[in-house]
Amino acid sequence: MSETPKPDGATVERFRAVMLPHLDAVYGFARWLTRDPVVAQDVAQEAMLRALRYFHAFRGGEPKPWLLRIVRNTWTDMRAKSGANDRPLEEIEDRAAEGPDPEQSALAGDRRRHVAAALAALPAEAREILVLREVEDCSYKHIAAVLDLPIGTVMSRLARAREKLAVELRGRLGRSEHGLPDM
Amino acid sequence: MDCPTCEAMVDAYLDGELSASDSAEFERALEACPDCRKRLEAGRAMSGLLRELPLEPAPDLLRARVERELRAIAGALRPAAPGRNMRWMAMAASLIVAVSIGWVGGTLTGRVGPGDDELVSTFMRVASSEHAVDVASTDRHTVKPWFAGRIDYSPPVHDLTSAGFPLEGGRVDVVGGRKVSVLVYRHNQHRIALSLWPSSAADVPAKVTMRDGFSMAEWRHAGFEMHAVSDIAPAEMSAFAAALDKAIDADR
Repeated sequence: MSETPKPDGATVERFRAVMLPHLDAVYGFARWLTRDPVVAQDVAQEAMLRALRYFHAFRGGEPKPWLLRIVRNTWTDMRAKSGANDRPLEEIEDRAAEGPDPEQSALAGDRRRHVAAALAALPAEAREILVLREVEDCSYKHIAAVLDLPIGTVMSRLARAREKLAVELRGRLGRSEHGLPDM
Repeated sequence: MDCPTCEAMVDAYLDGELSASDSAEFERALEACPDCRKRLEAGRAMSGLLRELPLEPAPDLLRARVERELRAIAGALRPAAPGRNMRWMAMAASLIVAVSIGWVGGTLTGRVGPGDDELVSTFMRVASSEHAVDVASTDRHTVKPWFAGRIDYSPPVHDLTSAGFPLEGGRVDVVGGRKVSVLVYRHNQHRIALSLWPSSAADVPAKVTMRDGFSMAEWRHAGFEMHAVSDIAPAEMSAFAAALDKAIDADR
């Protein structure tokens, strides 16, 4: 990394124009990866700095998948460095079930809270691919780029993730009421 | 199309990943296959639930932190001709003298106020979790003595846990060209940076303003000038100021 050219003022300006509009997506993805709003901010900030350092290697194309891949790598590295594993699920679920705190009024509504808790409870592999597809609205091709996988693997992994989420959701919501899969 | 093929296509159809001709073929097959229709409906329902999740935009604090880094990188890289550089250094030197004079003559008596930018910078240093405090303690008897020898006054230190603002620790920062004590409090997941220094002027109740998404409060109480910055709501900032005043009064 020390070999990469240092960004100059013009590069920073170009970065600001091309990448900064995707900060919401960067944070949103980090939020679901880390399941912690404070850690997510650190991951997002570090990812943006890395993205700036690697920006010379960005050859056009879609900025969002390019950034989200850096977010994922940053999170993997930060977790490896701190030696921290995913936090225990009970804690996550408790927190997700605490109810909308005033600053997250957007998470109002029982159903949405249950859905968020179900998604948060999934293992990382299932969670990240569902978030990329349904929250960040990435195509298979973009998901393949973020996760560095062939398209076929993206499809099979996505199908497995959906089955897992269906199980989680059924435990939290009435299946008939919401037309959930009866697989 | 037989059903296993049909099943395999449900997801791709839902995700809009089929070609126009494959989509049409799938739709025709669907009519003959109630199981796959059910599967499709279930998939739609789940996708709908996930898409109903509110998007959390990047917090203002994060945006400000990133902006700050970008500005710092762009600023540090600005090319400067050598001659120009020297002039800047000369100017900077005279500025240091001016600030020092201003400090002796002004800030000590509380007449020269700090710029909002500086206070926000102080908060930024506190808010970036890596190095929030130089002395980390919720115990005022640890934090207060730590300032001795580092700054030329002894700030009032109170833990405000009972009011919802636990003390995290303290640090020294430079505000208005002067080394000042900064106390760091926490409120839920937010930090509050309170810069404070002695003032001989009369008490003034807290005035809370918003700037760039930050709540800023300034007031004078019990011989100290207080400046608090945080990304909490203004009402919470007012509550913080009130809790601090109350704790100081109870101690007198």
